[in-house]
Amino acid sequence: MKQESKTSFSWRKVTESRLFFPFSALALILLFDLIFVPGFFNVQVRDGNLYGNLIDILRSGSTVILLAIGMTLVIATGGVDLSVGAVMAISASVAALMINPYVLATQLSPETQRLISDPNFTNQPLWVVVPVTLIVASLCGLWNGILVSYARIQPMVATLILMIAGRGIAQLITNGVRIQIFYEPYSFIANGWVIVPFPLYIVAFMFTLTWLLTRRTAIGLFIESVGVNARSSFFSGIDEKRIKLLAYTFCGFCAGMAGLVASSNIKTSDANNIGLTLELDAILAVVIGGTLMAGGRFSLLASIIGALVMQATTISMYAIGVPANAVMAIKGLVVILVILLYSEQVRNVLRRLTAQRKEA
Amino acid sequence: MKHKIGAFVSTNRRFIPLFATALLFFIAYGVGAGFFQGMRDPQIFLNLFRTAPFLIIAAVGGTFVILTGGIDLSVGGVIALTTVASAALLRAGWDPWIVMLLMLTMGVALGATMGWFITYLKVQPFIATLAALWVTRGLCFFISDDSISIDHPTYKLLSQTKILIPGLSDPATKEGDFISLLVVLAFVVLAMAMYVAHYTPFGRAVYAIGGNEQSARLMGLPVDRTKVLVYTLSGFCSALAGITLSIYVGSGHGLYAMGFELTVIAAIVMGGTMLTGGAGYIFGTLFGVLILGVTQTLIQFNGQLSSWWTNIVVGALTLVFIGVQSFLAAPKSRRPSDQMAGLMLRRNRKSLLMGAGTVLAMIVLGAFLFRMIIPSTESTACTLKPFRQDQAASLIQGGAVIAYERHGGPACIDELYAIYPDGRIKGDDGDRTVEKQATPAEVETLLSGIQNLGWFTEDIYSTWHTPCGQCYTYYISVSHDGQQKTVQAVDGGTDAPSDYWQVVSLINGLIPRLP
Repeated sequence: MKQESKTSFSWRKVTESRLFFPFSALALILLFDLIFVPGFFNVQVRDGNLYGNLIDILRSGSTVILLAIGMTLVIATGGVDLSVGAVMAISASVAALMINPYVLATQLSPETQRLISDPNFTNQPLWVVVPVTLIVASLCGLWNGILVSYARIQPMVATLILMIAGRGIAQLITNGVRIQIFYEPYSFIANGWVIVPFPLYIVAFMFTLTWLLTRRTAIGLFIESVGVNARSSFFSGIDEKRIKLLAYTFCGFCAGMAGLVASSNIKTSDANNIGLTLELDAILAVVIGGTLMAGGRFSLLASIIGALVMQATTISMYAIGVPANAVMAIKGLVVILVILLYSEQVRNVLRRLTAQRKEA
Repeated sequence: MKHKIGAFVSTNRRFIPLFATALLFFIAYGVGAGFFQGMRDPQIFLNLFRTAPFLIIAAVGGTFVILTGGIDLSVGGVIALTTVASAALLRAGWDPWIVMLLMLTMGVALGATMGWFITYLKVQPFIATLAALWVTRGLCFFISDDSISIDHPTYKLLSQTKILIPGLSDPATKEGDFISLLVVLAFVVLAMAMYVAHYTPFGRAVYAIGGNEQSARLMGLPVDRTKVLVYTLSGFCSALAGITLSIYVGSGHGLYAMGFELTVIAAIVMGGTMLTGGAGYIFGTLFGVLILGVTQTLIQFNGQLSSWWTNIVVGALTLVFIGVQSFLAAPKSRRPSDQMAGLMLRRNRKSLLMGAGTVLAMIVLGAFLFRMIIPSTESTACTLKPFRQDQAASLIQGGAVIAYERHGGPACIDELYAIYPDGRIKGDDGDRTVEKQATPAEVETLLSGIQNLGWFTEDIYSTWHTPCGQCYTYYISVSHDGQQKTVQAVDGGTDAPSDYWQVVSLINGLIPRLP
């Protein structure tokens, strides 16, 4: 017995690692692609830029990854933010309104019409649009944070309010108009390529920023301690309210970033559809990444892998020709499978089974 | 006096959210009826129920789940799957009653599976029901990508049976104000749920679990069994709501009931049930549903507000109700341990914040009401032209096979078209006229199409009521093969028979546009 534990020590260390399950889920999906989708791993080089299914997974997954980064912190405090999809819609509307407010007029002279379809025309330059949008999104997050930490409303309910009202607000901002964005620098945010797609740089920047913020300062530890037990953290001198406020505000910030990427990708402010049901994707990405919904320890990298698992499933289902709407069912099954693997009960049963086999 | 009110409030504290919801509903409807002539029509009030039986049924099931402190996000998916599956089975020639039974079994099985995952595998309710939502919605598209229409006579009968309200209708002519069978079903479900929640051991266990699961377990209550049963019940209600919806709209599609789970939760919260569980009433959920309905009706009648205001108003109302609830629940949470911990809720700051939140929500509501009232007092809106039904009738006398009038809407149009058997189509809106020459064959195709849709049968009937602010009134008279029938209906209220709008779109396809 003792000997066995000695030989399998390194293996156990691997399986007990936080990243083991998300990584193996991702590996399984990629293995599926390797067998069933010929040419899935092909990467082409055009004009020095990389294209291919793998790059696609990263590019189209970037919005969910951005959301998942913020969501990880919120879930780690023991909360949840249902409003990120709506905040994405709000930020898309704000950005579009700042770039092109003229379309709200009922009558456009042909001259204005020509002017606003010019790719270099914008009402406000990009360096104004992006910060203002992010500030608005952070304010939305702050609103959630105040409701949760100071008004002590249950997180799911508190964020539900903005989730319901948010899309209405987003449409109110643009007066229900789907604003088209012709401004070239703005569409570069999602559609630009510098060897790899530009959104990946945003993801890398946000990940590094968040990682430094949580792992090189004490904030990460504070968040985890609030998630494990808010009261005892309070006694240890951690202002749990302020930590929660920070987490929700940051989550709003990330949602704003995701909203910029999403609206720049489709070059419109589509308040009805931008970020629709993405809050669910983001939450599941975090859960697949192994962060408990009850709060506590978190891993940013695991959440990102979780988001990639979801995106890889979607892209590979598209690749084998499953209709877009039916992919949901497959995604649901993947989620159930992963959740079952995480469940203590199932793990106990599996452990018992393997133990029996060893004895036999 | 003040003392008396205080005593009354404290003894009936738990009923306050219910009262508040009911009061808000009646005030909102009363204000609406004061401003809009059309809302005084009893049929408009009855339409609040007629357009929402599935919402009532689904919300009743959801209330049980939320009372235990859980959440069920799968409602919309189960409803969509039920509509698609039953439409597909009916198309394949199954007996409708067997289909319904099968759908209910499916709902029960889905609910029980979710309950089992949540109770025994300790999966978070949020995650388990979310996965179920995705699976069920995805499955719809494995069955069919497109909408499947249901034209089984049993379903038609169920959707078209009118239950006339005594006193507001004429039993001889079968005309007047009415509700549908589905509304009766919804009320039966509501009554049964109220009985189960308040007068059975199961109901008591539900409340106990929502109050404190640990103590419920220590009291020896069957916690696990109750939790599984609650999700099973919700699955059953969702399937029943799905059947109701498929009867109501006469078709099945995977995109039906999108975001329905949120509507259900909003209705439950506005009905005074605490999302933390343990407090609330099934009856309140009915008023939650009605408030949603009255918000939509007001926006529709106003005619100037866009539909997204519904979302903002519902969000603000949710905030107000949560504010009311947490204010009422606050003394309860002042447990000794909390005080000892020095973490006692700072009532002052808390109520200040709650007050600020409520004021904010009130401002939003106020802005909404303000915008709602302004256009109706200032007559910037257009004035309706008189309805020309006599002229339309004379067109038929003059040899036209179809007389079609479209009247009202935000721009107050009044277009009257006549289609003649030789293919001439004439239209005018009082000032301008338009003419088009179609072939006699086209007219014949149109007429037989209209006849095939059941124009001359009992299936299509007039559903005229007082029009709302932005609705159109349609007057269609068709004469074909020696038969002649005139039907008049208003859109906006979704009470017209299912094939009626297909006839309208057929006619719209042929007539020319006014310049």
